[in-house]
Amino acid sequence: MFDYHHFPVIAVMILFLGAFLVEIFGSKNKTVRNTIALVIAAVSAACIYALIKPVFFDGEVISYWMGNWEPVSGYAIGIGYEVDALNLFFALLTVTTFLLSGIYSVRYMEKDEHLGHYYTLYLMLSGGVLGLVLTGDIFNMFVMIEIMTFAAVALTAFRNRSFGALEGAFKYLVLGSVGSSMTLAGVALLYMSCHTLNMAQLSSILGSQPLNPTTVFAFALMFAGLAVKAFIVPFHTPAADAYMVAPTSVSMMFSGMVNKAGVYGMIRLCFTIFHAMDQSSLQILLAAFGCVTMFVGVTMALAQHDFKRLLAFHSISQIGYVITAVALGTAVGLSGGLFHAMNHTLFKGLLFLTAGAVLKATGTTNLDKLGGLSKKMPKTTICFLIGAFSISGLPPFNGFASKWMVYQAVYAKAVTTGNFFYAVVTIVAVVVSVMTLASFIKVTQACFFGQCPENLKDTKEVPLSMRIPMWILSVLCLVTGIFYNFVYEKLLYPAMVAALNTVKYIDSMMGAGYAGAAGVANHLVDAPRFSVWDPISWLLLFVICLVAVCLVIVLGDRERGKVSDPETKPADGKYATFFSGEHELHSHVAGSDLFWGFKKDFKGYFNVVQGAHDGNVNTYASWVVIATAVIAIFMVIFVK
Amino acid sequence: MIIVNYCVSIILICLGLYAVTMKKDLIKVVIGLGIIDYGVNLFIVSVGFNDGGTAPIFTISELLNGAASSYFVDPVPQALTLTSIVIGACVDAMALSLVVMINRKYHSINADDVRRIRG
Amino acid sequence: MRFKSGIQERSIVVKCGADSFLPFAVTFGVYIILFGTVSPGGGFQGGVMVASAALLLYLGYGFKNATKVINPEVLRVNEACGATLYVILGLLGIFLGANFCRNVFFNDGQVGDLISAGTITFMGYSVGYKVLTGVGFLLLLMLGLLAPDDDGEEEEEVDLE
Repeated sequence: MFDYHHFPVIAVMILFLGAFLVEIFGSKNKTVRNTIALVIAAVSAACIYALIKPVFFDGEVISYWMGNWEPVSGYAIGIGYEVDALNLFFALLTVTTFLLSGIYSVRYMEKDEHLGHYYTLYLMLSGGVLGLVLTGDIFNMFVMIEIMTFAAVALTAFRNRSFGALEGAFKYLVLGSVGSSMTLAGVALLYMSCHTLNMAQLSSILGSQPLNPTTVFAFALMFAGLAVKAFIVPFHTPAADAYMVAPTSVSMMFSGMVNKAGVYGMIRLCFTIFHAMDQSSLQILLAAFGCVTMFVGVTMALAQHDFKRLLAFHSISQIGYVITAVALGTAVGLSGGLFHAMNHTLFKGLLFLTAGAVLKATGTTNLDKLGGLSKKMPKTTICFLIGAFSISGLPPFNGFASKWMVYQAVYAKAVTTGNFFYAVVTIVAVVVSVMTLASFIKVTQACFFGQCPENLKDTKEVPLSMRIPMWILSVLCLVTGIFYNFVYEKLLYPAMVAALNTVKYIDSMMGAGYAGAAGVANHLVDAPRFSVWDPISWLLLFVICLVAVCLVIVLGDRERGKVSDPETKPADGKYATFFSGEHELHSHVAGSDLFWGFKKDFKGYFNVVQGAHDGNVNTYASWVVIATAVIAIFMVIFVK
Repeated sequence: MIIVNYCVSIILICLGLYAVTMKKDLIKVVIGLGIIDYGVNLFIVSVGFNDGGTAPIFTISELLNGAASSYFVDPVPQALTLTSIVIGACVDAMALSLVVMINRKYHSINADDVRRIRG
Repeated sequence: MRFKSGIQERSIVVKCGADSFLPFAVTFGVYIILFGTVSPGGGFQGGVMVASAALLLYLGYGFKNATKVINPEVLRVNEACGATLYVILGLLGIFLGANFCRNVFFNDGQVGDLISAGTITFMGYSVGYKVLTGVGFLLLLMLGLLAPDDDGEEEEEVDLE
């Protein structure tokens, strides 16, 4: 009965069924509701994990027509679901994220009210994202985008008494809706010229002839619409607000699943449907967007005082890395981008979960009010440090492996094309990595080390069911960093080959030989194997350095543990002239202001960029419109 | 190809974008969102038009006589438009509920006052 | 005419109008849902027409009396039941051997009959039921925000049997 061909549809539909069941039964009994939500999430996850063997190891592409409506005389008339290695790669990330978030939210949300609605929305969001990554029909993708947007907006506004929740949700809804309308207009234009909605058939039609102005305009609109979902600058403004005000288990889902779905949509659009990735003009456009995203994301993050808003800007910046790597159009670039997307889900999910633990234990995420939590919450601190090392790109964690691949890809592209633009991109990528490390040193010092304020003296560690997802993600971060060759061969190489192998995608959906008859060829590029660094020796080096640092700290200054009280009175007024008016010997710089000199030197830049984020919904909407216009004009002129 | 429909839908989309980007009152922003949706819906329906075609229904007389070959307009964009109208209604409902709650909390629905998160 | 919390007292003309239009709206909406596969219309369109009954009740009789007749809690649970029924009918295709959303029973009737389209007829009915209850619940929720202390008629007990 349950042949694995049905598993994609079952995985998506059972999430929606679970949402409706929680709505019926969930408002009365807490245990029933939690059980239904977690069991259904686990069943859906199991369906997707069971597909790893056929799709990744045996290389099969599952194509599924709903209602058995097979194509008639070469035209697709039904809605199709197609699962090849690229889809399943993103589906694995989605499923892992929502399962861990569900386990985390059982204890995290226990003091909120209307939790029946929370679990319904959580299951709808998961179902929407999973449907988006598994579908093979372009209008079904639009419908799943809308389901995802609604559930995300409702979850952002969930704690509607907290600061800024309603306005963050409103801005997300307005900008998300503008983006979706642009996507729909693009779909309509595409239907006008190709008379089909199936992605495989569109791919064969658009691959066999050059693009006419209608399809180029459709490309520009869909590109902008999916960029709104992936939160690339300048479409990133709802992300910064929404990640900050949503409950943290939901923020983890946003940064782990929702923007990866947008990235997946862009990869499908550029590589498979429009076959446009081997044109240098499109590569330059996408790489320029990625470059600006990386830079603006990390510089805005340096200036933040709220823990979750800082993590949101870092999330935007890391997606910039992914987009830059994917934009290069080479095999190295694509696999580096996919690897970084996977690692971003893991380490950013971990960082958001630790932020949630801090919020639950202390009640605030303001970096100026936190401090010294490493003694009170040691296990959370270790998980946070693993996440911070990963995002900064320290070996042997997974961030180093993927960032190394991205640097290699961009450098190779700069060398082979000789274009000065790619040299700039390489430099920006490395500089942004350094600034990411600086920003996380600031957060670690402000939040976990340093002096503990008076009102946080009795914070306790968070409960066990909240720590389990954190430990699972930490272990995954370490394992994917050390056994990186295994991950590359088993997961990334099939996904990258599937993204470039459009002939197989078309043939398994529409019948064998269809792509050949339409004149579509593959863009398969021979992918090199990587073995440029040895993770075990890096791990030993890291352990030795860690032991050395701990020894130095322990054997060092005996007065290290003493805290200084900022309210000490000066000894006597007559010495004031020798201290030039300062009351104490030291001046207190809060941990969150660790880079105040850097901010002061670049005051002009920070004023412009921070002033541009002025919170007004009209401003943000005008950025979206102007950026869409720029993309459309660029594509109509340069993309053929 | 009905030129009038396409022109009107582009005008509607531009008017909606003007309302979203230039108007300070949040209710007017929501109305602008709705107008964008209506413009896109009109565009989608006009895409499926075939000159001289009838409604996409098989009548009983055609089917009983076996001559089911009347020339009609494309039914697929009509299905797309139906879905899009439902989505537009839901977006409007959700946005208006958020505006009502923002009014209760912020005591104002001017976009210049509803900006506590910035920077 | 007295003004109470900004809303006029219901006048007799509005009440009679609501009384006359309500059965027509409900019947016509149910007809459109039921004949969804045979004539233009279907689940969503008919559902919205039936849900206008909630609006007509509010216009004629005020919010308190409308919620006495149509309980929002019951509507909320029924909406989820309609949606569950839709997904289960779709999954029925998988249980009986074909793909999702396949017509697996009642699919050999005469063209033009009411029950001749297979499972899709019942999926259409469940969509109609879901939209009916869902849009009705939505309307009552938003109307409830409008005038939370609007009593409608405080001395006249309206009998809507």
